[in-house]
Amino acid sequence: MTEPLDPVIHAQARLRVVAALSALPEGDLLTFPRLQEILAMTAGNLSVHLRKLEDAGYVEITKTHHGRTPATLIRLSRRGRLAFDDYTAAVRSLLDGADPTGST
Amino acid sequence: MNDSDVDDRPPSAAEAQDLIREQRALASRSISPDPRTLYWPWSIAWLVGFGCLYLRFGPDDQVLVPMPEWLPLTVLYVMMAAALVISGVSGARHARHIKGDSQVKGATYGFAWFLGFAGIGVSAGRVSDLLPPAETGLLWAGLSVAFVAAMYLAGGALWGERDMVILGVWVGVVNVVGVLVGPGWHSLIIATAGAAGGLVAGYVAARRLNRGS
Repeated sequence: MTEPLDPVIHAQARLRVVAALSALPEGDLLTFPRLQEILAMTAGNLSVHLRKLEDAGYVEITKTHHGRTPATLIRLSRRGRLAFDDYTAAVRSLLDGADPTGST
Repeated sequence: MNDSDVDDRPPSAAEAQDLIREQRALASRSISPDPRTLYWPWSIAWLVGFGCLYLRFGPDDQVLVPMPEWLPLTVLYVMMAAALVISGVSGARHARHIKGDSQVKGATYGFAWFLGFAGIGVSAGRVSDLLPPAETGLLWAGLSVAFVAAMYLAGGALWGERDMVILGVWVGVVNVVGVLVGPGWHSLIIATAGAAGGLVAGYVAARRLNRGS
């Protein structure tokens, strides 16, 4: 196959994070606990993956306050959305292509 | 090393595609209210409320079931108020974990429902006493259903929900036909065709959401 799949997204956990966030309408942010609930990950594990995605510029993390309680809000950046679209397209073309295993 | 190493394993293309589909469906279900809670309370309100209206103010001034003149409209409006609260609470509860554009849209849309019904109530209330009871019923009924239909269209446009747009058109058209045919018939048409439209739309939208498409 031509180009390798985006290594930032091409890992079970981060693919799940990005896929879940991609279901959110653009311009919306999701709270950390709800994202955690959707993904059924531990808070620590999710934080690690979010940091990697943030470092790549795929995810934007906003810390804010609701009254006294701090809240963390997450969304895909425009770049993240594009990367996810490219990734899905690449996966589709792998599946449509000659290589039936399509691994890595 | 950290605990994320296990799921750092790259998936195969097929696995990746399944993962994406599952995760998106799961996320959509988690961030959207169950469509049945948005449609079905209205269907039930119409079925019962317009059912009563039909039985008391049947076509050609027939009284199919004797009951006080004020009762059917009261039942209808109490049930519609309940539907408004149930669908509103369901929408708001799901919006709690989402911030941003949708939150503003949702709040504005919710407010539009209350404002619209307030306007209808005040206007229809003012002229009600001037009309014969059957026409009074038709005025309240026709206005409220027309407003609900318009709000379905607006909601469908806001969230890109095709089912909601189709339901809005259906309810709007059926309402106009009913009002033209006259008191009694209007109640019967909305209690059956209108309510059925909401039941079908809720069912279809819920299935679509669960499938994640």
